[in-house]
Amino acid sequence: MGSAPAQIPTSFGHELRACLRCRLVKTYDQFRDAGCENCPFFKMEEDHERIVEVTTPNFNGIISVMDPSRSWAARWLRIGKFAPGCYTLAVSEPLTEEMQHICQEERVQYVPPKRM
Amino acid sequence: MLVLIFPISVVIGGGITTVVCLMQKFVDRGSDLQIRSVVALDHFKNYIYVEADKEAHVKEAIKGMRNIYANQKILLVPIREMTDVLCVESKAIDLSRDTWVRMKIGTYKGDLAKVVDVDNVRQRVTVKLIPRIDLQALASKLDGREVVKKKAFVPPPRFMNIDEARELHIRVERRRDPMTGDYFENIGGMLFKDGFMYKAVSLKSIIAQNVTPTFDELEKFNRPSENGEAEFGGLSTLFANRKKGHFMKGDAVIVIKGDLKNLKGWVEKVDEENVLIRSGMKGLPDPLAVNEKELCKYFEPGNHVKVVSGTHEGATGMVVKVDQHVLIILSDMTKEHVRVFADHVVESSEVTTGVTMILSFWSNNPSFGVIIRLENEAFQVLKGNPDRPEVALVKLREIKCKLDRKISVQDRYKGKQGPVRHIYKGVLFIYDRHHLEHAGFICAKCTSCIVVGGSRSGANRNGGDSLSRFSNFKAPAPVPPSPRRFQRGGMGYNGMEGKGWKGRGGRGGRDDSLLGTTVKIRLGPFKGYRGPVVEVKGDSVRVELEMKIVTVDRNAISDNVSVITPSRDISRYSMGSETPMHPSRTPLHPYMTPMRDSGATPIHDGVRTPMRDRAWNPYTPMSPPRDNWEEGNPGSRGTSPQYQPGSPPSRAYEAPTPGSGWASTPGGSYSDAGMPRDHSSAYANAPSPYIQSTPGQPMTPSSTSYLPGTPGGQPMTPGTGLDVMSPVIGGDAEAWFMPDILVDIHKVGEDSDLGVIRDVSDGTCKVSLGSSGEGDTIMALPSELEIVPPRKNDRVKIVGGQFRGSIGTLIGIDGSDGIVKIEENLDVKILDLAILAKFVQP
Repeated sequence: MGSAPAQIPTSFGHELRACLRCRLVKTYDQFRDAGCENCPFFKMEEDHERIVEVTTPNFNGIISVMDPSRSWAARWLRIGKFAPGCYTLAVSEPLTEEMQHICQEERVQYVPPKRM
Repeated sequence: MLVLIFPISVVIGGGITTVVCLMQKFVDRGSDLQIRSVVALDHFKNYIYVEADKEAHVKEAIKGMRNIYANQKILLVPIREMTDVLCVESKAIDLSRDTWVRMKIGTYKGDLAKVVDVDNVRQRVTVKLIPRIDLQALASKLDGREVVKKKAFVPPPRFMNIDEARELHIRVERRRDPMTGDYFENIGGMLFKDGFMYKAVSLKSIIAQNVTPTFDELEKFNRPSENGEAEFGGLSTLFANRKKGHFMKGDAVIVIKGDLKNLKGWVEKVDEENVLIRSGMKGLPDPLAVNEKELCKYFEPGNHVKVVSGTHEGATGMVVKVDQHVLIILSDMTKEHVRVFADHVVESSEVTTGVTMILSFWSNNPSFGVIIRLENEAFQVLKGNPDRPEVALVKLREIKCKLDRKISVQDRYKGKQGPVRHIYKGVLFIYDRHHLEHAGFICAKCTSCIVVGGSRSGANRNGGDSLSRFSNFKAPAPVPPSPRRFQRGGMGYNGMEGKGWKGRGGRGGRDDSLLGTTVKIRLGPFKGYRGPVVEVKGDSVRVELEMKIVTVDRNAISDNVSVITPSRDISRYSMGSETPMHPSRTPLHPYMTPMRDSGATPIHDGVRTPMRDRAWNPYTPMSPPRDNWEEGNPGSRGTSPQYQPGSPPSRAYEAPTPGSGWASTPGGSYSDAGMPRDHSSAYANAPSPYIQSTPGQPMTPSSTSYLPGTPGGQPMTPGTGLDVMSPVIGGDAEAWFMPDILVDIHKVGEDSDLGVIRDVSDGTCKVSLGSSGEGDTIMALPSELEIVPPRKNDRVKIVGGQFRGSIGTLIGIDGSDGIVKIEENLDVKILDLAILAKFVQP
């Protein structure tokens, strides 16, 4: 397998949150401990406030990806390049402007969620 | 690379758990687990989708997993559908302050609530609700007393009254909210302010999508201490949730938000969310693009609109006041003021009218009237006030009973003419299509009407005699609304008894002893026929047979005890210009028959005939009128099959024509009345009363309408019947009198004579007395004249219909129709006997 898998959520309740950029799903505490594996630049482990800014508990659907590079679903969802783990199909809100700037600076891709 | 997706059935709610577990398993087992991904969707809680190369991998992976139904058959989905699965609708509803939501659970389930604070971190919002507090129970609880919790008891929403609470010794704490600075009353842990309850709930327990507050709810919410803005705020969310495409080109709109607030304009084009409006204001780009959410439909007082959604859906009315988003409309139907959202209204010139025409009775001021318009909750009724048209709105419950009366007399009303639809207490309700008010109904005293038409039967004349008998009517040619000349068995005419029907009063007069009685003709060409005596003239009496009046020798008749046909009279009338209205009663008589063919009044004949036969048939006692029917029918209507003795008197006569509508038929839709399909409904009501009232009249159409099969049936066509009728009738009525036809002259106070019309001018006729017109010439009014029914082989002149004026030979009689061979073209036509007159060569 490719990269090391991201942390797998340990509980399924309210604490689950999804990263607004990569849509990785973990609990608040997990983000606080290890940040977002796909988006280290957010530095969630350092700045706890940021967790709230860049993750959301409003998400729809969950997908476990064992091997993103070989999963059609993962590529479809644009998470083919990310680490194996649990992701959400859709998040509720886009990243804030500020965060988007960070993404641009880091040259990482960000695709805002499509609003129906 | 082939992608295969396998849906796996799981325990509901366990999807996410399974997905994550599988992930964990993967991490633990490594390459043992050969599936690629697993998806769980929110809206398909009973399935997860596994992506793998082979089914075997899937099987292996789910082995031992909880939440997965074991031994299930593993299916495959095509990729196409997988993409659907992955494309979830983003369910983000940005909850913001002042958003309208609804509670999902608890006491307040379904209640409208307004968001006052959003706490994203903890996924909670504070909402404002109208409290449903049972103060008593609360007091008891706080006191530590036993609270008997009533099961499923949901207190009604009511604003919290602090004083009330205090009275019950409930501890009320006043607290100040640090964040907003507002004061809250804390009662039992619940926060109240301004009567509202403020509650912090989790996001999961509220619905934020498609929350459309109803008008009432909004009103309640905006009650205290809400300024206009707040209301706006609520409404703007309301609009935000509105469906798109709400505006149409040409709509008048007003901007409600933003810089251009209060700008009025007209919609030029709608393009999804953006609406282009033209405002006509200088300085602004024209057209102007405005977001749909910032617009609201605008109406001006005086606009006629229709409500298309909401509680008042279907109502039409005129805008009388515009108050921001709320319009006050004067409903067409109920004449009440209705408050609706501008959103729910479109401009329309449609006016909701109803249909029924039932004579009814209501209890406020005991009176009667005819329903001319049916609306959702009320009826518009034309009161039985002959002096002036009076319309009242009557709620359903105020209607006491439906009065079924039918009349089939055509009357003239101040120049207006039309068939009488209902008669009651000496008041006639005449329907005139051309009358613009009150759905065409005119209310008139019977005395102010005369019967139109020179019906042979002398219907016109019903006159004085009969009337005198039946005191309700005054002499000259009053419309015999109430007809019924003799009801079988002695009816006192008292104007509409409703027994059966109203026929026209017979002519009264000369010899009271015999007059009015039903006799049976024993001798002569009419042997066997029964009929009421309409006139006595010395040695001969005139007996009214189904369709005509015949003169028989006095000796040739014998009194017959049982009277049958009241209908007879009626039929007579039908002959003339009676309009289909007759049918009203029809059940009894055929008058109803629509069967008129060829131009003659379509309606009557057909109907009548059957009746007539029926009546006449000496072999048929009352009860089997049915038999009669058969007889009559086959010839004329071909409905005979319907009337088998055994058969239930089902067929109501479709009153032929729309005009005839039985009282019960909805006025408006004559067609319905006439329409075969409707019979049951239409007549089901009507006939019944009659049926009961008339003993031995099984025929009454109780249930099905009788559809005259015959050609006469044409009139059945909705509405046309009437139309057809009228002109025809009109024709009959007005211009049947033509030169060279044999007529009976009935001058008031004189004997009736035979004569031949020689000249017609200005509405009066010059008639030469004598059966061949060789006698003196007198002047007579058409109303004093009556066509003498031609006999077989007579030369006839057609006085009505499309062949009016033609001369022919009556080569046969078929029920109420005559078969005429027209001389000029040798065509053979079947015409109503009513429009055939004996031709006398000048």
